[in-house]
Parts: sequence; structure tokens; C-alpha cells
Amino acid sequence: MRVAHPTRASLALADGAPLLELTDVKVSYGGIKALKGVDLRVFPGEIVAMIGANGAGKTTTLKSIMGLVPLAGGAVKLAGRPLAQDTTEQRVAEGISLAPEGRAIFPNLTVLENLELGAYLHRDAKAMKETLEDVTELFPRLGERMKQEGGTLSGGEQQMLAIGRALMARPRLLLLDEPSLGIAPKLVQQIFRAIAEIARSGVTILLVEQNTRIALSTSQRAYVLRTGEIALEGDAKELASNPEIQAAYLGG
Amino acid sequence: MNILEAVFTGITQGAMIALVALGYTMVYGVLKLINFAHSEVFMMAAYFGLVFLSLLIGDVSAVNGIVSPEAASSTFAGVFGALRGHPLAAAAAATVLAMLAASALGIGVERVAYKPLRGRGKGALVRVTPLVTALGMSVLLQNLAQLLFTARFRPYPQVLSGEVQVPGLGAITSSRALILGASIIVMIGLELIVKRTWFGKAMRALSANEEAARLMGVRTSRVISMTFALGSSLAALGAVLFCLDQSQVYPTMGVVIGTRAFVAAVLGGIGSITGAMLGGLLIGIIGELVKLTDYSGGVDVLVFLVLILVLLVRPAGLLGSTRTEKV
Amino acid sequence: MVSRRDFGLGVALAALLLAGGCEKDDPNEIKVGAYLSLSGADSTFGTDTREGIELAVEETNAAGGVKGKRIRVIYEDDKSTTHEAVQKVRQLVDRNKVVALLGEVASSRSLAGGLIANTSKVPMITPSSTAVSVTKNRHWVFRSCFTDDQQGAVGARFILEHLGRRRVGVFFAAQDPYSSGLARAFRAELKRLGGEIVVDKGYQKGETNFRTYLAELKAANPEVLFVPNYYNEMVLIARQAREVGIPGAMFVGGDGWDSSNLVEGAGAELEGAHFTNHYAPDVPWENSKKFVTAFAARYKHEPTSLTAQGYDAAKLLFDAIERAPETTPAAIRDAIAATKDFKGATGTMTMDDQHNANKPIVVVRIQDKKFVYATQILAE
Repeated sequence: MRVAHPTRASLALADGAPLLELTDVKVSYGGIKALKGVDLRVFPGEIVAMIGANGAGKTTTLKSIMGLVPLAGGAVKLAGRPLAQDTTEQRVAEGISLAPEGRAIFPNLTVLENLELGAYLHRDAKAMKETLEDVTELFPRLGERMKQEGGTLSGGEQQMLAIGRALMARPRLLLLDEPSLGIAPKLVQQIFRAIAEIARSGVTILLVEQNTRIALSTSQRAYVLRTGEIALEGDAKELASNPEIQAAYLGG
Repeated sequence: MNILEAVFTGITQGAMIALVALGYTMVYGVLKLINFAHSEVFMMAAYFGLVFLSLLIGDVSAVNGIVSPEAASSTFAGVFGALRGHPLAAAAAATVLAMLAASALGIGVERVAYKPLRGRGKGALVRVTPLVTALGMSVLLQNLAQLLFTARFRPYPQVLSGEVQVPGLGAITSSRALILGASIIVMIGLELIVKRTWFGKAMRALSANEEAARLMGVRTSRVISMTFALGSSLAALGAVLFCLDQSQVYPTMGVVIGTRAFVAAVLGGIGSITGAMLGGLLIGIIGELVKLTDYSGGVDVLVFLVLILVLLVRPAGLLGSTRTEKV
Repeated sequence: MVSRRDFGLGVALAALLLAGGCEKDDPNEIKVGAYLSLSGADSTFGTDTREGIELAVEETNAAGGVKGKRIRVIYEDDKSTTHEAVQKVRQLVDRNKVVALLGEVASSRSLAGGLIANTSKVPMITPSSTAVSVTKNRHWVFRSCFTDDQQGAVGARFILEHLGRRRVGVFFAAQDPYSSGLARAFRAELKRLGGEIVVDKGYQKGETNFRTYLAELKAANPEVLFVPNYYNEMVLIARQAREVGIPGAMFVGGDGWDSSNLVEGAGAELEGAHFTNHYAPDVPWENSKKFVTAFAARYKHEPTSLTAQGYDAAKLLFDAIERAPETTPAAIRDAIAATKDFKGATGTMTMDDQHNANKPIVVVRIQDKKFVYATQILAE
């Protein structure tokens, strides 16, 4: 796997410093407080999971990182640099990619065109070719369907396409929003194996997931979000054995 | 034989309508907005073309009151003099200049009337408010044209006289040959732009899902501006060809062709580029065939009737997308 | 933001301005209202007509006025729209208290304005609205021009009696009451006098591509084509007719052709064509020549037909006011109705009981890109 874009390797990061840092992030939708002060840190090379019930603010947290929703307070920093002034496009250029909830692939474009659009910002022919090879290696089913329109794919294939498309930008930090949602269990396994593979290649991952069991088994650390606030955080394995978590999210 | 002739006239007419319809459909695609000012951009482009053409051929009688003969002969002689005596080259150059000017106008309309409203308002207002400013922009441009150019009907200089021989069809007037040729080339070019270029892919991505397009790093406002520029320049091409072939220029001229083009876009499936081309051709051909019947005075009535029938069977138009995203 | 205080000030200012608008009545002045399309789509109609009215007022006042009083015409712009026409007539009647009204050119606006004039019992003369319905059953509304019915019939007689042609094609704008009205009157008279209509085709108003129609018209092989429409569409028809191979001299039209734009746009294509009209610059009537000379001296350009009609409507009105026993709307109305042998620039007129001015209709020929007097025919 060759994933992180060569030009971004130069971005200096002090030893032990977080790649992504959210401090006291607040977001409101017309008076309703969706995030009430979220603190979160993701270190280079990690897979960090964020779990929580529907409406806890998981998707909003990811959107605030991408600059898709305005902050009512707090700060988002990438490699120590505040992103407050940056547009979504600039954040993508700086190395953050999001595979959004519900996949949001472009249904009337072919699989190949969907993937190409992932490389819209760098348009680096060599990097595109390499990443395309990596993505087809990771998801062979996509390779077989390159000329097909995205809208004709199954839900699981669309999720693969959404992740592949996000990788085409060659991100340092990959944000995944509910990659298992509405997908056949067999494909879920396949997708999470791919996520682990991507992480091994050096891409840092922040994973939002309702399927707590698989999220905690894939990640190193995890945050539990409850009504817009971090309720718990810690080592993924420890959280998995936490009785409170078991009762609330693992159905046990 | 009469019917064949009418169909051929309908194709040339339809090709021109399609050029204008493309602007409606592309803007709808990226913004989900009916740009009612598009027909006025078409009208203004006809004036731009008239002014440039008059200067290029050195005959400013058609633009009297807009450009004074002195200004034309002194200031512009050096710049535009080169093409005098070459009517075809002058017409081509005037068309290109009009397309550029119309692009600037299209971008301006978007910046002034639509951009400030984007992402504001709630619920139904998100769609209704820009629709109202679009109508307002249309009225504004019409009145502006009346102020700048007066309400006079101004004929284009007849630079494209004569006929050309087309195999299989016999002699056709050179203006109609030009319409056909230019439309075909432009439509192929547009297809290439939309399918092959980064701009085309970004435009299609934006029209499918704005937020996802932004996540790819697409600068939405730039793509929107370029869409307006492209749509407006196609309308300008349509306007100049239309006027060279059959019309005079006047401030309310956008209404007639604008209505037909809008119907063509909806008929073909608004948002679909191939649909707009198909819709334009259909409207053109149906319009000419109606002229052969006893209902020859009600071309638009029949055209709208066809629209309603098609929409009853296919609510999204002939090629419109009815696909809902799988979840 | 406009503060409440600024707003209050604005209201006070507006009230002052309004009060100023209602100036005191001058006892030595007779007030006449004119509502015209001075801006908007038909702005040339209104501005041409106003020049004629202005000249009439200047001449009348210079010659001592009417009943020893000065005439003052208050002009209102209806912006070429019907609802503004209604508003402006109301304003002239209610606020300015005019004794009579002049206007409009377009029949649709004369109909709307005439309704208000009629219900307010103020006499109105339209200088150039030819639709029959404008004066129909309107006690207070008159016209100083012919009607579409008269004009259509004269067109038919001109073709049969003066051109000596029998096989005629008719081509008209289907949704336009003016064009289809003229065509209707034309057909009836042509058939009555033994002519033959070989092809009869309507087109959609606003159409620009006439080739399919023209090919069909030509195929029917008529001797003359009667095309009663407006000049802007006629330019396009004439240009495309040449492509199809229909000679310009085959065309006959109505007063809707009367615009310099017609000869500028398609003068060469229409060489030898004819149309019925109110007037021609070289019409051999004494008053017309006087008017053309006076107008050219005052405005430094040639008058249009609408200018001559505006001039005549104003002069006819002033003549009626002079003859009326007193300057009340009712007395003026009766004097207008009694007009007989009034010598105007567009002919000698007598007001008939349908409130239409009975006068000769001029036939104009297009020759060397100019309008030339051909003949005159009295409407029956």
C-alpha cells in the first residue's frame, strides 16, 4: 500500500504530538446544541473509534473536522495547526479525507470516474495510477466494475467505492462514517479487514461506528459520545470489557 | 417532400433551441435552480453580437444610438479594421466576442443574484428565494436592455447571404448550414468537456451531491461560475446564429425562444445534457410540422401539449434521472 | 436600516410633494389629459404621438388658444402596460380634473383607459386605436382614425380594383386581435366582390422562422399575399420570402407596417409592396403638407403617421372645445360627436354615429426603400 501523498510527508510533527486534536468543540444547529464541548485526540498511525447512540453527535464531529459545519466554539487542529480559517477543499488538500455516512458516491458517474474525482485536488497522474492499483488490490470487486455506473453497485460495493475514493486523495488522516451501515455481514468483515490494512500502510484513521463490537476490535483507542459530550475514553480492549459499555452498546 | 423540408427546417431550429436549453439544464444540474435570467442573457448576447459584428464589418447603421459612427471609425478602426471585407471571418469573430461577453454577464448574474443567497434561508425558502431573484434579474436585464439599446427592433446585417450545396438535401442557405455545422461541433465539444475534463467531472459530481463534491476538494463556487459561463456562451452562440438567420434584436426577444428552450430542457429531462439536446430537436421538429396543419397559428399550444403528455408518462422528462440513491 | 424618525420624515415629505402636485386651478387654462406609452415596449408609439400633440398645442395657443384660454396638456406615461393605463386615466380624471382625454395608441390600452373615461363621464379621443371594440357602446369614447373593419375591406378593394388581382393568399398572426381582425374583414369583402382565397394560413405571434409557412404559401400559387401584421414580423417574413423566392411586390399589408424600421430592415426585399395607412408623407392634401412643413421646421425630422394622428386628434378635440357652449366634459362630448368635415393632416373627417372618423384611407407603396403615396380609397 502506498497511500500518503508524497508532498505531505514533509509536514513535520513533533514526537508524541497528536495528528488531530479537537479542544472543546461546540456545534449548534439553530439553537439545538449538537456538540457541547468535545475533546478528542488522534495520534499518527492509530485507529481511533468513536461510538455512541444515534444522535449522539458522531457525524457532526466528523463534519466539524471537515469544515462542513461552522463551529460555535473550540478549535480543530491538524498537526498542531488550527484549521478554523480553512475551507473544506483546503482541509482535503492538507490531507484529511472523509468517507461520509450513507456513502454519498456519485450514482451517475462510473466507478472509475468516482475514484478519479477523489484525486481532484492533486491530479498527479503517477500518484493516481498507483493509488488506483492499491484500491483495486484492496477491493477486487471494484476493479471488476470500473466502467459501471456507481448507482448500480450494491450497498457494500458502494461503501468500498466511498473508501477507495477517499484514499485517492492520498490522505494522512482518513475519517470513516459508519462503514458498516446497512451492509451484509460478510462484506462488513471484508471492509474492516481493508481498514486495518489501510492503517498498516501509515494512514491514521478516525472511525465512527454504531457496530460497537467490530469498532472496538479494530481500533486501538476509542471515545464514547453521549448527547454531544465525551462520556468515556480509553483503550479499546478495556472499553470492550467495561460492564457499562457492555450493557449499553454490546447488548450483553 | 414538404414534410421532409419542414423536418429539416425543424432540425436547424431545434439545434438552436438546444443551445439555449443547455444553459437551463446545466445550471439546474449544479444548483437545482431554474435560471429565469438565462433567456435575458440570450437577449443581451444578441445585442453584444450585433455591436461587435457592426464594428467588425464597419457598418454601424444597425446600432445607431448605441455606437456613434465617429467612435466606430476612429477608436475601433485600428482594432477591428482587419476583418472588413471578410464577412464570414467577421461573423465568426463577433460570435466569439459575444460568447465571451455573455460568459462575463452570466457569471455576474450568478455573483449578484444567486451566490449571496446560497446556503441561507430554511425549508422551502431555500428554493423559493433564488427563484424570485431569478425572475427579478430577468426583469432587470430586460429593462436595462431597453434603457441601453431602446425598444427598437434592430435587424442584423445580412452578412451570410447565398446558399451552399449539401449532398442529399440540395441547396440550403448558408446561415442554416452554419447553424447546423456549429451546433453539431459545439454539442460534440460539450459532450467531451462534460465527460473527459476535470471541470466536467466536477460539474457532474456537484450536480449529484454537493457535499460529497466538496469532500473531493471541488471548489463549488468556481464550478458554479464556470457552469454559468459555459451555459451563457452557448446561449450567445445560439443568439448570434438565430439573429443571423432569422431574427431582429429587441429587448423582449428572450421570451419566445427562452420559453421554447425551457420547455425543451424539461421535456428532455432537466439536468440531463443529452436530454436538452434531444428536447431541443423535438421541439424544433414538432413546431415545424405543426405549421403544416390547420393549427399553424398555435405552435406553442401543441408544443406544450406534447410536454404535458410526456410528463404524464415520464414525470422526469425523456432522459431525466428517476433513480433514488440506494441506502 | 431606515429609522422610525427617518421614515416619518419621508412620509411628511411625500405628503408635501403630493400636495404640491395638486396645484391651484388657473382660470385662464383648459386642462386636457394624455396617457401614452412613453416608455416600455411600445415607447416609440407614445413619443411619436406626443410630438404631434405638442405641435397642435403650440399652434393653437400661439393663435390665441381656445375660447380665449390657453390649452395645457398633462402627459402621463403608462409604461406600455394596461394596468398603468387604467391608473393614469384615473389620476388624470380624479386628481387633475381634466375636461377631456387623448390616448392611447394600442387598442388594448385604449379599451382599458376608455372604460374609466366612460364611467367617469369624461370624453376621450384615441388618435390611432383601430380595433372596433374600442368605441363600441362607449358613449364617451371616440376615435379620429379608421377601424380595422374599414381597413380590411379597403385592402380587398385595392387588390381587386386597383391591382386587378383575384387569387389571394392570406397570412396573419393568429393570436393577435389586430391581425386576425383585419384578416377577417378582408376575407369577407374579398369574397363579396368575387375574389378567391387560395391559401389562408395563421402563424403564431412572435414566430421568427417562417420558411415552412412561406414554402406552403408559395406552393398555392397566389397572385397577391395579404399579410396584415406588425412591421417587426414583416421584416423577417420579407427577408425569408426572398430566400423562398416570393417577390416583395406580391405583398399587401395594413397600417401595422407603418414604421421606418420596415424599410430599414427589409426595404429592398419589399420593393413594390403596398399597405393601407392613415397617411403618407407626400399625400396630396393641403393640410398634410402644411403639417409636414410645420413639423419639420419645429422638430428637424420627418413626422411619422402616429405623429400626424396625434396632431389630428388634438386639433379635432380643440376644435370641438371651441364649438362647445361651455367647457364641461358633457358639452365637449356632444361637440366631438357633432364634428363634420374637420380638415386634418390625415384627411377630412366626419364623426359617424359609431364614433369613428369617416375619412379616406391612404394606400402607400414601398419604392426605393421609401414610403410613397399610391392612392386613396374612401371606406364605405
